[in-house]
Amino acid sequence: MKNNVNKKVGTSQIKHFIVLTAVLFAFWILLSGKMEAKYLVIGFLTSLISAWVTLPLLRLPSETNKGYYYPFDFPYFRYAFYWLWLLKEIIKANIDIAMVVLSPKLPINPQIVEFKRSMSNPIAHVTLANSITLTPGTITMDVADGVYTIHALTDGAGEALENGQGEMMVRISRIFGEKVEGEPAKQRRGEI
Amino acid sequence: MKILASLFLISGFFFILVAAIGVIRLPDFYTRLHASGKSETLGMILCFTGLAIYEGFNLTSAKHLIIVIFILLANPIGTHIICREAYRSNLKPWTRKEE
Repeated sequence: MKNNVNKKVGTSQIKHFIVLTAVLFAFWILLSGKMEAKYLVIGFLTSLISAWVTLPLLRLPSETNKGYYYPFDFPYFRYAFYWLWLLKEIIKANIDIAMVVLSPKLPINPQIVEFKRSMSNPIAHVTLANSITLTPGTITMDVADGVYTIHALTDGAGEALENGQGEMMVRISRIFGEKVEGEPAKQRRGEI
Repeated sequence: MKILASLFLISGFFFILVAAIGVIRLPDFYTRLHASGKSETLGMILCFTGLAIYEGFNLTSAKHLIIVIFILLANPIGTHIICREAYRSNLKPWTRKEE
């Protein structure tokens, strides 16, 4: 799984086909709830055909346009553990937001923060942008070529993004097998 | 079990209430997105987890958990897309300094 930047198209297509079929079939079983052979066969054929039709559409170009990634191209268990860790952070973030919103003074100071983080796998970018939106007082406004534009609600949220947020990025980089080189280049545009 | 489920449901309602209050109180578009994007996600997750616990371990609770996963993935993406379109059409964020 690691260092698959130069992966050619088709090397692991069979694997992704199987994974996609399995996911679709599991979803079929979950939604139908019927375990008779007739429904299982219909479901399996349906998921096989839909996996065959949709697999070419799910090809995502990597950041340097050297290869392709498929949406299921990550270690699942570590990804699940990451989401459990994130859930804890989300609860903390929401308590912060509740304190800000319910306090009579409304202590907010909105600002825009930018930083750059280049990662090869597009799914890693999706995960990071989602995580930033879900955690303390920050929303991802724009992602273009690895440059993140982020709207921070309070001073503390903007600062946490520069210092503490390193943990989130390093975790994501490790999950997706990207390089972790010291601190990523960050710059602050300041208040506008 | 019912007590645990109602605890989850009540905390979920609390966060959805916070989201609604935030949308009314905060000054501009982006800050309102903060309230609705985060608090609502957690509120919905807590509500559906509570319903799954109330239901016990069967197919319906598995469906509730699938809904939780979809909300967790889709809600931040929706917030991000609304926010990005506002940003690209040059909507200026509200700042405290300009007062």
